[in-house]
Amino acid sequence: MTDERTADDPVASTDGGTTVPTDSVDAVLDSLDGDGLSGYNYAYLDEHTKREVRRATLKAVAVPGHQVPYASRPMPLARGWGTGGIQASLSLLGPDETFKVVDQGADESVNAANIRRLAENTADVETTTDTTEAGVVQTRHRIPEEVLTDEQILVLQVPITDPLRKVDSSDAANRRRHAHKNYGKMWVHLYENVVEWGEINIASRYPTMVAERYLMDPSPIPRWDVPKLDDAENLYVFAAGREARIYAVPPHTDVEPLAFEDREFTVERFPDAACHACGSTDTYLVEVSEESESPQTTREEGGGEAADSSFETRYACNDSSFCEKRREDSDIPKDHHLDREGVDWGPGTPDNEEASSGGAGE
Amino acid sequence: MRALGIDPVHETRETFRALLDAMSRPGTVESVPEPADYAVVATLVDHEVTVATDDETLREALSSQGRLDAAPPEVADIVHARESHAFDVRECTRGTLVEPSGGATVVYEAECASGRSEDLTPVTLFGPGVDGTATLSVGVPPSELDALATAQSEYPRGVDAVFAAGDRVAAIPRSVTLTVSDETTADETAAEEVA
Repeated sequence: MTDERTADDPVASTDGGTTVPTDSVDAVLDSLDGDGLSGYNYAYLDEHTKREVRRATLKAVAVPGHQVPYASRPMPLARGWGTGGIQASLSLLGPDETFKVVDQGADESVNAANIRRLAENTADVETTTDTTEAGVVQTRHRIPEEVLTDEQILVLQVPITDPLRKVDSSDAANRRRHAHKNYGKMWVHLYENVVEWGEINIASRYPTMVAERYLMDPSPIPRWDVPKLDDAENLYVFAAGREARIYAVPPHTDVEPLAFEDREFTVERFPDAACHACGSTDTYLVEVSEESESPQTTREEGGGEAADSSFETRYACNDSSFCEKRREDSDIPKDHHLDREGVDWGPGTPDNEEASSGGAGE
Repeated sequence: MRALGIDPVHETRETFRALLDAMSRPGTVESVPEPADYAVVATLVDHEVTVATDDETLREALSSQGRLDAAPPEVADIVHARESHAFDVRECTRGTLVEPSGGATVVYEAECASGRSEDLTPVTLFGPGVDGTATLSVGVPPSELDALATAQSEYPRGVDAVFAAGDRVAAIPRSVTLTVSDETTADETAAEEVA
């Protein structure tokens, strides 16, 4: 119970233990009729907050890959649920904009749907699930399969901003390392990885060099998506609410995943796998465990093991909106909306077909 | 910033988007509400940052909203440079190696046009945001651009330049390399084609 709630009763406000009369709670709830949004500024954030985020975003673009600190504000959801991305997106969005939100490749997760609805309600934007129609795409852990254009901005939600965190937990020491481009400790980490696994075995947050200057954490996108950052047409904005940092990769910027001459950067491999829904072999696939149709699914008595045996593993496209398009037209390429030839967009684009199947024989 | 004839919500958002496009694609010219330099200052400045400007209208408009924290051009975060400005851009703050984002944003009240343009100084740009090379023409003398090149020469420390006048804005962030082009040469014509 805060002082504010009891402010109309000066006696009660001095006593933290006083209960609020029930009818006042009802009154509060009654006042929440409608969207409860009247009184909010356009796009939820106040202009002071937007200026802060905008200044940081511009500096982030001017120094590609450098983590620019900003005053991250409390948002109507907990930090760690995309608050940085929301602040960056709401600072960008205008009423003529179309907005898409992706959570791990899906538009329909609760988190994505709520963020989309917040923007729809407060910023009066159109929303879409079609990547090619969106002006601003906010995403968690994926870059869409469809090629982004110079009209689009991708806002990535970032949980951990510093790639060096995994080799040293000291933020102060890591900031000094970035200042002097001293990334020796990361190279040692990669070397140890090779010694242990025979290849660099980093599943996500792959350390990536931006414009030959800053080592960047590309957020927990799979390795599959990392090559899309290099020489792209679109702007990437990485925003972290909890860590209060914004960084960016402008279009046509060199972005190179760290690797050794004899241990090259590789993307994930899906030998002999195809999406069970659309049949794609050139998209990022995830394993889906589904209950098989055999009738012996007795969860209660069998316990864990019996239940496991009735599950089968299938592969499915992670980008659900593109999967849907592929289900209607299985030949549709990832650059179907562009009239240019020679578009290079991560592994398995039409011009780089061999990359997606190249690993199959290994 | 109604005092400046700029809508505080939607026109500053439009200005920000134009600035972001200009900053992430150096060499391109974007359109913003008029007057462009006021729009840029109204979009970026409040009491959280220091600003240097000798424009009385701007000072008054910012001050009336409690958004003016004035400072000399050598230490200000945002420097508004009118045509007659007296400071040396090489003296502006460039941030530190640990926090280069502390470098100043210098907003020149100056014309800009993509490619070559009569009466303006052409510069060739390459680096992040530029596909190959780009040519931008700006309404400041070559000596000022040479000074800007020096102010940007210690990457990642440096200043970021915005050129704003009329309804147009362009930017030269510190990440790109700028060369003041003197006379038209063969390879500049090629650069223009790319731009």
